[in-house]
Amino acid sequence: MNQSELSRYFSEHLFIPQLKAKNKEQAISELLDLFVKEKYIRNREIVLEMLHQREKLGSTGIGKGVAIPHGRTTAASHVLIAFGKSDAGINFDAIDGKPVHLFFMVIAPPNDEGNTYLPILGALVTLLNEKNNRDMLAKVKSFAEFLPIITGE
Amino acid sequence: MIKKDLEVLVSLQDIDLMIEETSEVEKLGFSVSGYTELRKAREELAATLSKPMLFRYERLRAKLKRAIVPVKNDICLGCFLRQPTSLGIKGREDEEIFTCENCGRMLYWLD
Repeated sequence: MNQSELSRYFSEHLFIPQLKAKNKEQAISELLDLFVKEKYIRNREIVLEMLHQREKLGSTGIGKGVAIPHGRTTAASHVLIAFGKSDAGINFDAIDGKPVHLFFMVIAPPNDEGNTYLPILGALVTLLNEKNNRDMLAKVKSFAEFLPIITGE
Repeated sequence: MIKKDLEVLVSLQDIDLMIEETSEVEKLGFSVSGYTELRKAREELAATLSKPMLFRYERLRAKLKRAIVPVKNDICLGCFLRQPTSLGIKGREDEEIFTCENCGRMLYWLD
């Protein structure tokens, strides 16, 4: 999946330039609430449970200040990504033990058209492995500033 | 409490989907060090269901891969067949678990 295709899964409604969350639990809740507010998800508790179980499998804090909480759930109809940023950083039990500043929450249905879920995760990991991209994302204040970094334009 | 059963089944399937794709997400660089713990959580959750309900879920899963599928705008997202509107009204309100007449999967209304 290229960056342009990846950008289709983002939305201004699922974007928080400055998270209020102070810890891992709050960060997951704050991002999930975006999906609930936009009515992409009806049963918040079921999806929250799935995200907690996913963290049980291993922290989705992949290091270098990045976390990608993700999972498939029967309570979703299509793949969506929410973005949130914390300038102060949040302890997310990341694999390198460092605070997380950039959060990408990926929610997918049990079977998605075109099987895009894993390629989306892969494309995000590739994008965020680049220090330059992480540095630029750390500075964004609006969705208009954010999207070109994702599309690579 | 059959409605509660449906919610347990959804959570169970969510964990099963996670377990199913563990090796793929590991290849992407995610930690899966808690695999044994997750399997344990899965078994604990499965144990809260009655044996016939768990058997029904496992049988559907073995046959159709996904035992429960979302319904959006009256469309079963397992086989994409439109469900009767009357079924949707019952499915959202009743405690009974409904299945798609076409594919046989259990239905979970999203809207």
